[in-house]
Amino acid sequence: MNPVIRREFFGILRSPKALAVLVALTAVFSAAVLMYWPADASVDLSGKTSIHVFRIFGYGLLAGVVFLVPAFPATSIVNERNSGTLALLLNSPLSAASIYFGKLSGVLLFSLLVLLCSLPASAACYAMGGIGLWDQLGMLYLVLFLLVVQYVTIGMLVSSYVQSSDAGVRITYAIVLGLLFATLLPAAFIRGTGGWGTALGSVASAIRCLSPLPAVMEIMRHSDVVSTGLKESSNTSGFLLASILSSVIFAGLTLSRLNYRIFDRSRSQGVMTDERGLLARIVRRLVYIVDPQRRKRGIPWYLNPVMVKEFRCRRFGRSQWLLRLVAVCAVVSLVLTFLAATSVTSWGVDRIGSLLVLLQVVLIVVLTPSLASGLISSELDSGGWDLLRLTPLSSVRIVFGKILSVFWTLALVLLATLPGYLMMIMIQPSMWLQVKLVLICLAWTAAYALAVSAAIGSLFRSAAVSTTIVYIVVIALFLAPLLIWLGRDAPFGHDTVQKALLITPVGAALNVIEAPGFENYTLLPAAWWIAGAVTALMALVLGIQVWRLTRPV
Amino acid sequence: MTDPEVVVQTHDLTKQYGEFTALDSLSMQVGRGQILGFIGPNGAGKTTTIRILVGLLKPTSGSASIAGADCLQDARKIRRLVGYMPDDFGSYNNMRVSEYLDFFGAAYGIGRRRRTERIDEVLEITHASHMKDLFVDALSRGMQQKVAIARTLMHDPQVLILDEPANGLDPQARIEMRGMLLRLSGLGKTLIVTSHILPELARVCDLVAMITKGKLRAFGTVDDIMRNVRQRRTFEILLLQHDQVDRVAALVRDWFQQHAAQETSGQTDVTGAEAEMMVRFSTSLNDQAISPLLGHLVSRGEPVAQFREVTADLEDAFLSVAGSDDTTPGSDSQAAADATEAAAAERRSSHPTGPTKETPSR
Repeated sequence: MNPVIRREFFGILRSPKALAVLVALTAVFSAAVLMYWPADASVDLSGKTSIHVFRIFGYGLLAGVVFLVPAFPATSIVNERNSGTLALLLNSPLSAASIYFGKLSGVLLFSLLVLLCSLPASAACYAMGGIGLWDQLGMLYLVLFLLVVQYVTIGMLVSSYVQSSDAGVRITYAIVLGLLFATLLPAAFIRGTGGWGTALGSVASAIRCLSPLPAVMEIMRHSDVVSTGLKESSNTSGFLLASILSSVIFAGLTLSRLNYRIFDRSRSQGVMTDERGLLARIVRRLVYIVDPQRRKRGIPWYLNPVMVKEFRCRRFGRSQWLLRLVAVCAVVSLVLTFLAATSVTSWGVDRIGSLLVLLQVVLIVVLTPSLASGLISSELDSGGWDLLRLTPLSSVRIVFGKILSVFWTLALVLLATLPGYLMMIMIQPSMWLQVKLVLICLAWTAAYALAVSAAIGSLFRSAAVSTTIVYIVVIALFLAPLLIWLGRDAPFGHDTVQKALLITPVGAALNVIEAPGFENYTLLPAAWWIAGAVTALMALVLGIQVWRLTRPV
Repeated sequence: MTDPEVVVQTHDLTKQYGEFTALDSLSMQVGRGQILGFIGPNGAGKTTTIRILVGLLKPTSGSASIAGADCLQDARKIRRLVGYMPDDFGSYNNMRVSEYLDFFGAAYGIGRRRRTERIDEVLEITHASHMKDLFVDALSRGMQQKVAIARTLMHDPQVLILDEPANGLDPQARIEMRGMLLRLSGLGKTLIVTSHILPELARVCDLVAMITKGKLRAFGTVDDIMRNVRQRRTFEILLLQHDQVDRVAALVRDWFQQHAAQETSGQTDVTGAEAEMMVRFSTSLNDQAISPLLGHLVSRGEPVAQFREVTADLEDAFLSVAGSDDTTPGSDSQAAADATEAAAAERRSSHPTGPTKETPSR
């Protein structure tokens, strides 16, 4: 047996976290089936109940794979490299391929265990009747298995490029969420007919195949997501092909890096624009607007130095990257509204508004854990926390500076989407009140996500662990109500869905903008009160944790 | 010469974690401009002491003060008085050295104009001006150590506490580091330096504190410690031929049995190294008592090329102290002596030429 497989697999299995994951998943799946297992003697000949249970089970399993699987491969190679053991492995008689496939198999075996834990529950679903063994149950497991392979290969590829494990986790989750949701967007808008339009439409459909969501929805016999008109090809087979192809490409790319190249790291020679000639300085000013190689002036007295430090030590927190991010958000928001205004799609302003809200929520969910989860844990990890404690800065000022750095980034991103709303108001002035309420909901969403990420992230000493846990918690908090909303007709009643949508202010935002399927709930102002209470609670947790970490003991 | 003004002072400093005593009644004083070498094996309590001094830990009992400020009660004052360089560098990604120092300067409330000047000054002091525009996370270990010292100097503290500053440095960088410590001391800074590289400390330190299992075993100048920590003297006899080694070793053993009844150990450790044509032995006898041995060997027809004493150094003293965990500072118990000898003999067997002590010079 490949020694790397043994070490990776047993290494993961030995960790208490892995045991907790397996036990928790088994308990959740069993509980879900038990809740809907027929308690009376009546027989559901239509198989409606079992289909509902199967849907919850299937989407839950998909969510489990999306949340849990990327965390393991994302740190797999970078941890080995940083601890020096990758050099030892590459120096051993083991080939790069056997090291790679050893690590891949170790993580895959654990992921398979996760899937196996759900088998008793899926067998119970099948026993309830109304579900096809191969075309539904078997296909679901095949899709999920290939999804696991795809995520593991992506995680390992990212892990071979990054310099720290938390960066690996952040980037992998961002890619995974991008593949899950962002790949659906081109197909939603490009419906060309003839010539270039057809070609673009085909490309958009191919990109859409990278997301497992249409395939799983097809297996669940749900209506298709972001598609209109007649269905041309099977989503499932498209995903199977796309996932196999993409996994092979990701594996090939990672394998090509498993040699001396993985240790290469370019080091800046410290050439600054200030020392270049006048012409070079002018050219760089025109190209960059904010030149990353220009010497920065000192931190002014009126700014919190910790906030400035946080911006400066984030690769994408530098001004030039923030400007680019804001520009992209503004353009996307304007394009969405422009499409609605020029009636390129059959969707009205309401639907475009929903998409804008979803775009902002996805941005918040992807960005906030990445920015806020490591506020404390990354300092503990790097030894910077003690250095900060030794400065005359109070702990309140330190934490406030850190939170401000996340706040301003989120605010910039959210503000960048305002032009889209302004255009919506120009098209339909009656929407002003709706837009105002939506913006308040989104502000609460951002505050909520920030507070949860910062508070939960502060409970861990390792940045990689805190990033993983925070991503799981935040995605679960934002996605779970939507999963329950999907079962709004059955098995969940109107009240249950309404209560679930109150968990985060996203439901309220979609409700206010009258997104299809969200119109019939009354979520305001209760959603704001709940968001406020959760934010306050999380702020309290963060405060207590910071107090614990700063007092001399 | 008058004693320097006391800047760092600890009195009966004790730190307990449940049943475990990490620090046990530590009392010491360091004067202005002095360099204290803080020595101890891993887990001895060095970092605990340092963390109490900088206000990161609370002592269970006892007190510590720096320039009159209590390390626990006046924690805010202490932050301005002390520059602490922990073993971890505390790197921030994607920041250039100048930005890194600028941040810490701003955190200490130094004005922007003064901060810019100060960055140049501290980089000059640490000979790191050429690193100003490099990224801190891409620096080598030695470069990081220099930047870390520059960081501790940013707010011009009276006291510098450096945890393992020579760790991971190449010989050239270590020499530079030594020079830097002396320069800082010359500027009137009080320095507390921990290091495992004891010869480095012996060359620059005014005072040495040896700590094991949380207890202060020895404290004073290097010379004081060498005098107070009783050690058995070790001698080497270099012979002319390999086949002499066993015979001479036997003669030395016999001589000690017949002529050295006052030898307290009861046994003299005599070892022969045939490859080196060397016989080594250790004894607590003085020069007068040992002098007839050479004549005895020559009279028995054994030619001797050299008969010399291996000079003890700070490492020997440390090994002696480390071996006498249950003794009080400066005691001369037999256990300490035995432990010293065992450890020193082991060390010498791996360094046959023996260490050469250099007089601490400033």
